[in-house]
Amino acid sequence: MAKTFSNRYMLFYAAALVTVAALLLTIVSVSLKPRQERNKAAEQKQMILKTIGVEASRDNAAELFEQYFTVGESPNGSSAEEDIHGGTPLRYDGGIVIPIQGSGLWGPIWGYLALDSNATVVGAVFDHQGETPGLGGEIATDKFAARFIGKRMDSQPICLKKNADNNSPYQVDVISGATMTSNGVTEMLEKAYENYKNLITPNIQSNQIDFRKEAVQ
Amino acid sequence: MKISPLIKLPFSKQNPVTVQVLGICSCLAVTAQLKPAVVMALSVTVVVMFSNLIISLLRNTIPPRIRIIVQLVVVASLVVVVNQVLEAFVYDVSRQLSVYVGLIITNCIVMGRLEAFAMTHRPWESMLDGLGNGLGYAVILVILGIVRELFGSGTLWDYPVVERLGLYNIGYQNNGLFVMAPMALILVGVIIWIQRSADKDLQEKEK
Repeated sequence: MAKTFSNRYMLFYAAALVTVAALLLTIVSVSLKPRQERNKAAEQKQMILKTIGVEASRDNAAELFEQYFTVGESPNGSSAEEDIHGGTPLRYDGGIVIPIQGSGLWGPIWGYLALDSNATVVGAVFDHQGETPGLGGEIATDKFAARFIGKRMDSQPICLKKNADNNSPYQVDVISGATMTSNGVTEMLEKAYENYKNLITPNIQSNQIDFRKEAVQ
Repeated sequence: MKISPLIKLPFSKQNPVTVQVLGICSCLAVTAQLKPAVVMALSVTVVVMFSNLIISLLRNTIPPRIRIIVQLVVVASLVVVVNQVLEAFVYDVSRQLSVYVGLIITNCIVMGRLEAFAMTHRPWESMLDGLGNGLGYAVILVILGIVRELFGSGTLWDYPVVERLGLYNIGYQNNGLFVMAPMALILVGVIIWIQRSADKDLQEKEK
């Protein structure tokens, strides 16, 4: 290994290497992109379907989604497919599904709440990017989501509290050991309530949601 | 050089996890269940094998002064490819593994093998060395995955073993500690203990 290399050789070597690597990675990325996007979209649809009690697999999620969320009948007249990306509420037979987004301890957290026509939660689902497994990561479990069922989003948002009163329709127990993530969930519920209260509130009086009249933020 | 020790040694006297104590981070992180453990093990094996092969092919052209950077570029590219493939074909598992696939780049086994072996050996031998070390790492991950999933969640590869055996009905409960990372460290310790007790060569000489 007594071979010596000139500076010029080193520079060209490095440049050539990264160029080849970049080319290869671009090819891989572009050729796999459609598959990955399909996976992500299907996962989102699975989550939304779960809130209204429909268990879908990765394969039939798109199909079932079409079935339960009628295209062109969502709040602002756009298609369900568009709404899913725009973060607007989706209409299903019996109420609405509202998207919620916020931040946990380590990164974004998000989820969907299915409300019936009385603004009572009939289903919830949460997910996260990088909360601590076993602590904040617990928000993604069915057990945590089940705590929300029967709670209400009508006159105030649901909040997470220590020793929450289980009879209160606005309180849900926190995850012990995951205060920051729990606070994040409370905050994102507040934000969702602020954003969608126009959609939710009138429906308390009329018992019916007038989607077209209320503009969604 | 004979071929067989290249593959055999990493399973015994040169195991990357239990003897060299490398790659512990991912050992603790991804072994709560068997499936992600197996996928992680395969991913690392593929990355070690091919980075060893590529670096070995290039070894005479690599200027020593920038060799670590060259190795990193090769390893990082391979890891990105693996990550993309996982996202496209086994999306759920890739969600579970989350950042740990990306962290293969910093897995000491990979860089360790490149520096210690591939830089000075022929491509075929380097590839076998990578395979051996990848599998040595895989064995430990699979053992941990089986034990932790079975006792922690009562399932094996998502199949509800304990429920089928009817153990819950007679009062059996899953042990939550097995799901947490500290238990993986304890289990690795136990494996090291067993291995060192059995293999006199691994024990320190008494003074």
